[in-house]
Amino acid sequence: MKTTGPRPPVLPGSAAIGEAMIAAGCRFFAGYPMTPFTEVLEHMAARLPEVGGVCVNAESELEAVGMAWGAAATGTPAATGSTGQGLSLMQESLAEIVYARLPLVVLNMARAQGDYFQATRGGGHGDYRHLVLAPCDVREAVELTQYAFHLAEFWRSPVLVMGDYYLAHTHVSVDVRPRDFGPLPARDWALDGSTGGTGAAKLVSPLSDRKQRHAGDRTDASYDLAEFYTRHGGAMERMVAETEPRAETGFLADAEVVVVAYGTPALYVRQAVRDLREQGLRVGYVRPITLVPFPSEIVRAAASGARVVAVYENSGGQMVDDVRLAVLGAAPVRFIGRLSLDSSGFGIAPDLEVGAMRRRIEAAFGPAGDASAWTPQAHGRSAGGARRAADPR
Amino acid sequence: MQREVLLTGIGGQGIQLATALLAAAAVAEGRHAMYFGSYGGMMRGGNSDTTLVLGDDPIDSPPTIGSAWSALVLHPAHAGGVYPRLHDDGLLVLNTSLCDPVGTPAIGRLVPIPASELAASSGNASAVTMIALGAYAAATAIVDLDTLLATAAEVLPPYRRQHAESIRAALRMGHAHAGPALRAWPVCA
Repeated sequence: MKTTGPRPPVLPGSAAIGEAMIAAGCRFFAGYPMTPFTEVLEHMAARLPEVGGVCVNAESELEAVGMAWGAAATGTPAATGSTGQGLSLMQESLAEIVYARLPLVVLNMARAQGDYFQATRGGGHGDYRHLVLAPCDVREAVELTQYAFHLAEFWRSPVLVMGDYYLAHTHVSVDVRPRDFGPLPARDWALDGSTGGTGAAKLVSPLSDRKQRHAGDRTDASYDLAEFYTRHGGAMERMVAETEPRAETGFLADAEVVVVAYGTPALYVRQAVRDLREQGLRVGYVRPITLVPFPSEIVRAAASGARVVAVYENSGGQMVDDVRLAVLGAAPVRFIGRLSLDSSGFGIAPDLEVGAMRRRIEAAFGPAGDASAWTPQAHGRSAGGARRAADPR
Repeated sequence: MQREVLLTGIGGQGIQLATALLAAAAVAEGRHAMYFGSYGGMMRGGNSDTTLVLGDDPIDSPPTIGSAWSALVLHPAHAGGVYPRLHDDGLLVLNTSLCDPVGTPAIGRLVPIPASELAASSGNASAVTMIALGAYAAATAIVDLDTLLATAAEVLPPYRRQHAESIRAALRMGHAHAGPALRAWPVCA
């Protein structure tokens, strides 16, 4: 029976993410086109000027992140993004922005799931961390994108939001109105010109937040990096420790096999788990929503009664490391994913199909030998010394 | 209650726009809709496919699905990926200008319509999928024709709104061409 009342308009995920950014206050966006990030950039280019913001199609990702850095330093809620390839170019700046303690939302509209390490470990220099959120669908992407702006502002740190082609191209009726996540500290650090000429000008830099002449009784003219990095490290530590790890779970109570997956593939896992439950199989799932901080306690609790923890990723296996660290040997952890791409490298993944996902999960119920049918080794990509010896490549 | 629709064709036939219109019309009638579109890199001639799920409750289906209640096949190039996924009691709207009914699966109902020829004869060759959508709406009653007509303009960007009337004409043409409805929603409100 159909329900009554008007619904919000149907938007593609790319536009919904864009609208969520605008609702969260974003007024500066820069990027360089690369599918499926291009769709977000196009939307921001059309919409930001209408709300008094600025969107720049930069010369490359290097300039895009630099522009976003500058905008963020003025206290303007800012965002940038790309696919994983473009984010590779941004890693140096991303590390520096973490140290400069600037709020910035960064989108990775990724191709498959090979960027987990890039996102959670970072490719930049130094001892840094930032938060990483991984929505599975458009509604959650709208929520988490807005949450990312809140977290970025609250902790004065970049926050990375993971998306993909499916998220950008799925259309749904979605409410993009602003969410309230609570109060935020004042932007008293922002270079807004308010202290110009007063002798108390502010400094935003990855080297220090205090001008050199404020460096106590030091007689040299350099920054005190030890003091700054230590103080900054403590702030990062608090951010990771005090941000609530989030995960969706289902059917865990009596699950023999627990499947862990994040992002779009988790939708296929969830549906496959529901189907297998109807067949009477004791299977449940955990879907990490925050990748940093990783929901280790939730995964560990799910694993405590399980015979096997199976990890699906559309990659050679990266998050599986964090699952193993969470489970700490309480149950065997089997990787049941592999990299699956179409010829374009970013579109429909042949493996993302509920029936195929069911078969992978079913295999995890069997002895390890059966489940290993889905390991990369069985697909001939890394079969060890014997294969290499026989293969002149 | 949930109904799935697969659309397949090639770039230029209007697959993406017709899917957007059906989703918007269903939402305008108070239902929930989710669709996923994919298309080749070229403007015309590459694959253009969509998966649309309509329901009474919020849709939490994956973007692509293994089986579907209905389909609109506008071009044979990628139809092979659609036919095996149709339910036994499903419905298929087939563009017989380009697709051979021989070889389509044995399902609940086949709605043949020479959509490409009708579009060409109407002077609007790019209205192919809108004609098929009109037929689909008539065959399923999944949305009212009036809702489609009323929603046509809103799925067009402002600089394309001048085409709303030709889209409405295509919808009416297809609607008039289809036979009696196999109701999409067994119990309609």
